[in-house]
Amino acid sequence: MPMPRTRFTAVVSVVALFSNPAMSQNESGTEDMPNTANLPDHQQSAHHHQGAPPPDLDAPPLPEGMTLDEVFNYAESEPPAHFPDPVADDQWFGFVLFDQFEYRMTDDEAPDHLGWEADAWLGGDINKFWLKTEGEAIFDGPNEGESENDFLYSRLFTPFWSVQTGIQYANEWTSDDYGDRWSYVLGLQGLTPYQLELDSSLYVSEDGDLTIEVEGEYDLRITQRLVLQPRAALGFAAQDVPERKLGSGMTSANLDMRLRYEVKREFAPYIGVRYQSLVGETEDIAGAAGDKTEQWMVLAGLRFAF
Amino acid sequence: MTEQYRFIGSRLFTRRRFLVTTASSALASYMLLNRPALAVATDAARAGNFGELDATAAEGIDLYIENQDLLVDGSIGRAITINGSVPGPVIRMTEGKDALIRVHNRLPESTSIHWHGILLPFNMDGVPGISFAGIPAGETFTYRFPVRQNGTYWYHSHSGFQEQRGHYGQLIIEPAQNDPVDYDAEYTVVLSDWTFENPHNVFRNLKTIEGYYNFQRPTLANIDDQMQATGMALGEVIDKRLAWQGMRMDPTDIADVTGATYTFLMNGKAADENPVFLAQPGQKIRLRIVNASAQTFYDVRIPGLPMTVVQADGQNIKPVETDEFRIAVAETYDVVVSLPDDRAYTLFAETMDRSGYARGTLAPREGMSAAIPERRRRPMLTMADMGMMMNGSMQGMDGMQGMSSGSHRSMEMPMDRHAEGGLPTKNLIERVKHGPAGHGPASITMAQTAYRRLDYPGAGLGDDGWRVLTYSQLRARERPPLRRPPTREFYLHLTGNMHKFIWGFDGKKWSEADMIRFQYGERLRINMINDTMMSHPIHLHGMWMDLYAGGDLDTNPRKHTVNVQPAELLTVDVTADAPGQWAFHCHLLYHMDAGMFRTVAVVRLLEGESIDADA
Repeated sequence: MPMPRTRFTAVVSVVALFSNPAMSQNESGTEDMPNTANLPDHQQSAHHHQGAPPPDLDAPPLPEGMTLDEVFNYAESEPPAHFPDPVADDQWFGFVLFDQFEYRMTDDEAPDHLGWEADAWLGGDINKFWLKTEGEAIFDGPNEGESENDFLYSRLFTPFWSVQTGIQYANEWTSDDYGDRWSYVLGLQGLTPYQLELDSSLYVSEDGDLTIEVEGEYDLRITQRLVLQPRAALGFAAQDVPERKLGSGMTSANLDMRLRYEVKREFAPYIGVRYQSLVGETEDIAGAAGDKTEQWMVLAGLRFAF
Repeated sequence: MTEQYRFIGSRLFTRRRFLVTTASSALASYMLLNRPALAVATDAARAGNFGELDATAAEGIDLYIENQDLLVDGSIGRAITINGSVPGPVIRMTEGKDALIRVHNRLPESTSIHWHGILLPFNMDGVPGISFAGIPAGETFTYRFPVRQNGTYWYHSHSGFQEQRGHYGQLIIEPAQNDPVDYDAEYTVVLSDWTFENPHNVFRNLKTIEGYYNFQRPTLANIDDQMQATGMALGEVIDKRLAWQGMRMDPTDIADVTGATYTFLMNGKAADENPVFLAQPGQKIRLRIVNASAQTFYDVRIPGLPMTVVQADGQNIKPVETDEFRIAVAETYDVVVSLPDDRAYTLFAETMDRSGYARGTLAPREGMSAAIPERRRRPMLTMADMGMMMNGSMQGMDGMQGMSSGSHRSMEMPMDRHAEGGLPTKNLIERVKHGPAGHGPASITMAQTAYRRLDYPGAGLGDDGWRVLTYSQLRARERPPLRRPPTREFYLHLTGNMHKFIWGFDGKKWSEADMIRFQYGERLRINMINDTMMSHPIHLHGMWMDLYAGGDLDTNPRKHTVNVQPAELLTVDVTADAPGQWAFHCHLLYHMDAGMFRTVAVVRLLEGESIDADA
C-alpha cells in the first residue's frame, strides 16, 4: 500500500463517513449511515500506531520494584491463579414460583379441588434446568388427582425466547387405580410482542402419541400492586388417543381470570374464576360416556415465589 | 447465601433463640418489611459521623474496615464501616507527595479499596482479580503511591457488593500550586443509596423478577395522571403504551433499584435528618459532591441559588453557572455557591426516577431548614431513547449538514494541524447505524441508530424553566498535556437484556470476553454506543478519558467516569500511558457484577507488531 501506515485509520474513517454522500443529505435515510458492522471493534483493531511512545508521555507509574518490561510481561499474562474473578458474573441462581396454588370451588355438585402450577429453575443467564409442575387433587372426597411434571433443559436463544427440552412424567390416580406415562418434551417459552407470556410444549408419549399444550397469560396492572391476569391454556392432539379419551384436533380449553394483590412481588393472594371445557371430538367422546364436558370454578389462592 | 444482616445484633443468642429469631425475622422480611423496626434505645453509632485524615502525612494513615450495626435513618442496619463510619473518613492528600495508607481488614471476608480516578501503579489500584488478590480477612495491605494530580475524588471497595453496604468515602487532593478555584469554605457532600436488604438478595431479585423494585409502572390507575401530565388524549396515551408493549419494553424502567428498598443518603444522613452546611451570606462555599451510590443517579439543585460548576471528576473546568445537574454514579462535581441573604437554602438531590431524594441545608446557623421542593413526576423514556430522533431532539443535525456542504475539508483540518496525523478531532460523525448483526440473547438492541446527545440533559430534565448542565458545557480550564489526535479507534457497544438482567459489552460478559488491549503510549479513541435503554456510567481505571464534548481537542474535559445515555454515541480519547492491567466497567454496581466489565491490558505491543524499544 503506497500510503503511509499511520494515516490508514484516518482514511478509513473518512471513507466510512463520505463513501455515501446521501448520508448527510437525507435525514431519514438511516440506510446510508455508517454502520457499526463495518467499523472496527476491539476484536479487530483497525490499526496500530507504530513507533515509540511520544515524547510528552510522563514517566509511567510503575509498581515498586518492577521494571517497565516486567510490567509489560505482567500485562500480557493471565492473572495469577490465586486471584479471584473481579466480578462474579457467571453465578447460578435458583428460583421457585408457584403461579397457582389455589382452591378450586365448583358451581355444582362436582367435587372441589386443590390445584397448583409451579415453575422452578436453576442455572445461569442462558442455560437453566427447569421444572414445571401442575396438577390438582380432590379436596374433600375420594382420593383422586393428576399431575404433569416436566424436567427440562432450557436455553435462552434470543433475548425473549428459550427453547426447552426434556421429559415429562404425568400421572393420574384414584383410590384404587394409578396410571402414569412418560413423554418427550420440546418447548418454546418466552414473551411475545405486547407482552404476552407464552409457554408452548410439544409432547411425544412413550406410546408415540403427539400432543401440544399452549399457555398464554398477560398481566394487566390496575395499580402498582393490583394485577388482573387473564390466562388461556389450550390442548391439542395430533391423533385419537382412546386410553386418554382424546380425539384428534383441539382437545381442551381452560380460560382463567385472576386478580392478585402483590403484598410483595413474591407474595400475592388472589381470587379468580376458571371456565374449563373439552373441545371437538374429545368433547364428543366425553359426552357419549356421560362425563361432564365443561365446568365453571371460583378460585382463591396464593401466588408466591422464593 | 441469603444471610439477613439486619436482624441479628451483636448480642449473644442461644442457639435456639437464634433459630427462632432468624426464622421469624426471615418470615417477616419475606412477608412485608423492607426495613426493620425503628430502633428503640440503642448504643449503635449513627451513620454520617465521619472524620478526616491526611494520607500524605509522613506517618501515613490507618483504615479499619469492619462489619458494624449502624443507625441509618433511625433504623439499625448491618453496615461495613471504615474507621467506624459511613461514609468513611474524608481522606486528604497533597499533590506531589506520597500517599501511605494501611488498610486493616476486620471483615470475615476479603476486601479492597479502589482509589477512584487516581493515576497510580496498577498494583495500587485496588481491584481484586486485576490489581492484586484482595485483602484477605484479618490482614493488612499497605497502599503507597505518588500523588500526581489534584481535585475531588472518592474511594470505595471493589469487592462484591461491599460498596452497597457503606464501604466508600471522599478523597480530596490539594493542589501543589495555588488552587484556581476561589472559595472561603468547603464541604464534603457524599450522595449514596442504602438498603437494609442484603445486596445479594437485591441482585437475586433483579435476576429473577423483572421490574422487582419498580413501583411507578404504567397502570390503569395512572392513565389519567399521564394524560394530565402530558396533555395527551386518552387514545394517544393508550397508543403510546401499546407501542411500548409491542416492543416488550417498559418506558418507566428508569432505575433498576429504587426508593422501594433504598434510603437515599447525603453524608450518611437521610433527608429527614437534614445535614446542615454552615454558610454566611456572601461567603463563597465550595461543595465537593460525589455520587457514591451503587445504582442511583441524582439530580442536584439548590432552589433559589445558582451554582457555579468549577470541577468535574476532579478536573478543573471553565466555570459554568447552572441551576441543576445530573450526577451519574461515580462522578464528582465541585460547585461554588454563595448565600445572598441570611436564610436557609435546601440542597436537594432528587433521584432520577423520582422515587426519593436526599437533602441537606445550606444555612447561616445550625437547626435551620428551608422548604423541600415537591418531587417531580417520574420521567418516561421516549422514542429518542431508542434512537428515533423526534422534533427537537435533532441536536447535531447542524453538524451533519455542515459535513455535507463542508465536505472533507472540515474533517481534515485538525489532522493538518498536527504533523503526525491521526483521527479527526472536530465534527465527529453525529450518528451511526447499528450493524445488522445482533449481539445474541444477552442484548436487546433497541436503538437502531445511535447519535450524539451531548446537549441532552437526560430523561426528566430540562423542562422546568431553569438551566441544567450538560456534557456539552464542560470545557477543560487549562489545556491538559498529552493532547494529540488519536491514531486508532474502536467501537464498543453497551449491551443488555433488561428483561433478564444480563449486562455486558458487545453482548458479552466479562467471563465470556477477552481482555481489551491498549498499546502503551498510543492515543486511542473509544466510540461507545449505548444499545440499551438505560444510562450507564462507564469508568476506566488508571487513565483519563478525554470526553469529546463538541469543542476543541484542547478543551475536552478529562473524565474518569462518563455517563452514556440511551441510544447515545459518545466518544472518548485515551492516552494509554499506564502499563499494566486495569478495570473498565459500568459503575452501576449490579450491572458491573452482572458482567458489564472488561479487563484492559496496556501492553508494549499489539498483535506482535514491534516498536522500537530504544527510541
